[in-house]
Amino acid sequence: MSSHSIVVKELRKTYKVPEREAGLKAAIKSLVARKTKDVHAVDGISFQIEPGEIVGFLGPNGAGKTTTLKMLSGLLYPTAGELSVAGHVPQKRQREFLQQITLVMGQRSQLNWDIPAIDSYDLYRAIYGIPQEQFKQARDEMIEIMQLKELVKKPVRNLSLGERMKAEMVGALLHQPNVLFLDEPTIGLDVTMQRRIRAFIQEYNQRYNATVLLTSHYMADVQALCKRVIVIHHGKLLFDGELTALVERFSAMKTLVLTMSDMNGKTPDMAKYGTVVTQEPNRVVLRVAKSDAPQVTARLLADLPVTDLTVDDPPIEEVIESVFDTPEEKP
Amino acid sequence: MLRPLKLFGLFARISVLNEVQYRANFFMQVLQSGLSLGTGLIVLNVVYSYTDTLGGWSQAELLAIYGVFVLMGGLIGSLVIPNMWAFMEDVREGRLDFTLTKPEDSQVLISVRVVAIWRLVDVVLGIAVLSVAIARMGLEASWWLAFAFASTLVMGMILLYCVLLLASILSFWFVRVWELMEMMQSIFQAGRWPVGIYPDWLRLGLTYLIPVAFAVTVPAEALTGRLTPQLLAGTFVFTLVALFITRRLWMLGLRNYSGASA
Repeated sequence: MSSHSIVVKELRKTYKVPEREAGLKAAIKSLVARKTKDVHAVDGISFQIEPGEIVGFLGPNGAGKTTTLKMLSGLLYPTAGELSVAGHVPQKRQREFLQQITLVMGQRSQLNWDIPAIDSYDLYRAIYGIPQEQFKQARDEMIEIMQLKELVKKPVRNLSLGERMKAEMVGALLHQPNVLFLDEPTIGLDVTMQRRIRAFIQEYNQRYNATVLLTSHYMADVQALCKRVIVIHHGKLLFDGELTALVERFSAMKTLVLTMSDMNGKTPDMAKYGTVVTQEPNRVVLRVAKSDAPQVTARLLADLPVTDLTVDDPPIEEVIESVFDTPEEKP
Repeated sequence: MLRPLKLFGLFARISVLNEVQYRANFFMQVLQSGLSLGTGLIVLNVVYSYTDTLGGWSQAELLAIYGVFVLMGGLIGSLVIPNMWAFMEDVREGRLDFTLTKPEDSQVLISVRVVAIWRLVDVVLGIAVLSVAIARMGLEASWWLAFAFASTLVMGMILLYCVLLLASILSFWFVRVWELMEMMQSIFQAGRWPVGIYPDWLRLGLTYLIPVAFAVTVPAEALTGRLTPQLLAGTFVFTLVALFITRRLWMLGLRNYSGASA
């Protein structure tokens, strides 16, 4: 048994999807001889996650994130490769394994909509066999942190999306799992709710030293929670490392912000230094290639009455976007 | 064996606590069940105004069949069918993933989740009809009779559960199998008459394909002293086989769902 919390080696998942051309004739033909096409949803990815880590799992829609999460939580059989989560092989779906994990999907609800959340919690207690005392303590504590209070006594269908998600998170963590798979847990929530969920994840992670693998489209989630990110694209691993390194590696541009002292109404021609993003009389924002940044900075300082100059990385959203824009490599 | 029962108890308790909030549903169900019972009894009366026996069953005995039919309908309608609907919806909406990540047998979990308590009105009515039938038949109570009736009733329920689950499992492959479920529920209606009166091909279908015969006629036969120990043993074996087949298909469906067979 390894000391890693999650080990993924050369993981692959290939779907066979029926392929047919448009038209009735083709449809009838496909009834007899079905042509299938292999779709490589996950195409040989490897990584390891240590206990207590919170890792952001990024990639555009259809990159293979959910497929990977489903394999890690034992819902899908891998086509090839090795998997180990909390010392178990997920797809065997042993009781001891399932006791240690949880799966939260922001788009789907596991709570029964017709009954209050607190009743569903009772069912989870029975299913997971949580001792009564421990259950009550964990439940009340989490309800407190999430500020759910009386809401858990209302039928779930009467809750707002944000309230529901908070109730959902509590339900998913009652059995105090070590490994959390969170698929878009903050989707569709307003900023305050997102922040609350984030704080909750962080708190849980610290208290139980739980491993968290999180996908999210909101970079704020990733920035707040994840030191490390894993980026997949077209089923392949594109990047695995610190968030800051991702920016370093994939942003080809730097943003220069300079403030100048009064130039007696003259407007200098800034276009020769780089792409002008905004230009006000005393303040200019420029975008330059990363490799040119030192040189341009030196020229600016020499040419103009600069009072202040900062060199920034572009916003993380832009970086991620440019990463995802890379076309698929054809084998 | 104890855990599923415990889970069922808990799920049932929560269902009950919630359903009692909707008393209107109770009155609707009483109305609906009362109406259908009324028409059923009228039809029985009409039939016996033309003949004294039907397929060897006297009027009182036929009333017993009808009682079992209503009782079984209530049991299935409150305990089995709601779970099957919920399961099919879970497959369609992808919520089954949550069930599969629970440390409990998934077939057990999907089978005990919902109890439609108001349908139990039919159970009460069925027992009432049965009581009248038993009084009219002038039945002598015996342990053998009670045992035969209770055990065939339970086995009949298990058999119907198997068949309904088998149909629902198809949703792993076809996603939409509602029509099939609807069809099976209407076929169950044939159970209000002794299956002996139907032509052979239909009788066989109602015995082995959709086990209405085992679910309704056999318990009624037990009650009217027609059941032989051989038939009881046969029912037992058939129930075991059905449970086994259902389990295998469930596993196969799961494998397909998780892409293990691809």
